[in-house]
Amino acid sequence: MPEQLPGLPRPRTLRHPGPVSDLRIEHRHAALGRHFRLALPPGLSLHEALVSALAGVAVHNASMTLLGGELQTLSYCLAQPDHSGRVVATYGELRETTAARLIFGNATLGRSAAGLPVLHCHAAFRLADGCVRGGHVLTEQTRIGAGGISALATALDGIELRIGYDTETRMSFLRPRTEVSDA
Amino acid sequence: MPEIRLVEHGRMGRVAYGRIAPNEDLVQSVEKLCLAEGFRHAFVRGALGSLVDACLARPQGGCQLIRGPAVEVVSLAGEVRAQPDGSLQAALSGVVVDTEGQVYGGPFVAGANPVCVTFELTLEEWLPAAVES
Repeated sequence: MPEQLPGLPRPRTLRHPGPVSDLRIEHRHAALGRHFRLALPPGLSLHEALVSALAGVAVHNASMTLLGGELQTLSYCLAQPDHSGRVVATYGELRETTAARLIFGNATLGRSAAGLPVLHCHAAFRLADGCVRGGHVLTEQTRIGAGGISALATALDGIELRIGYDTETRMSFLRPRTEVSDA
Repeated sequence: MPEIRLVEHGRMGRVAYGRIAPNEDLVQSVEKLCLAEGFRHAFVRGALGSLVDACLARPQGGCQLIRGPAVEVVSLAGEVRAQPDGSLQAALSGVVVDTEGQVYGGPFVAGANPVCVTFELTLEEWLPAAVES
């Protein structure tokens, strides 16, 4: 349960398992924002729909806003403390449901260490029983429902987002680097 | 009824992407990303990641503390504005999810929302052209 505090809390500084990195904000910029409206059709997984739509316009690194719509199936999980101490937090058990409504989501498109497309997606949604929930969405196992989903994508031109291992947290996640042209 | 209308014209400029490391404050990291990229004004265009605990301001004062780790951010909206003294100030609000999947929303308190594992931010630069009153 959340706590109602009369003042402000003292924020907690957690100790991660690895050495603290000197670099606290890794960043790059694109000279201009190129935006795309995507109409994602029913029946496809979110992953397939987003990746193929953007590949069609030669975009492989992007930030996306998911603007809502029905989901045939939804697979998600929640962040949990890792009581083993190996890492500070990890993902909990897979939760699967049907007939949920996507309320709003954010997603990032990048590449795995092997160079394959990956999506990182967090969203809020209404479950079939009316409860509003949220979490880390597994886009390959989440299928778009009737009416489709529209999304706004911003291309990150000149930036490559690639999954990389982080020694501080002992976890792997998307990190930006300057894109090297194939030409 | 006073008629005060202020419209700021402008255009969007560069797009910055940042990955924030653990224990850095979300609100101040947005400001520092703007400083690092030379943005004076910006809008949040995308954001997802996790916080140690989330601290949301309450209308009557004080705050709502949602304990993690980790608390996931599923929605973030806001802007960064240059202040008269030259400093940058971010105002961010959003929706977070606790470790049970419950959702909460409100304005993020600066200095009280440390990143847990990682936080991805996409900011779009706002370039005001003129102010019309």
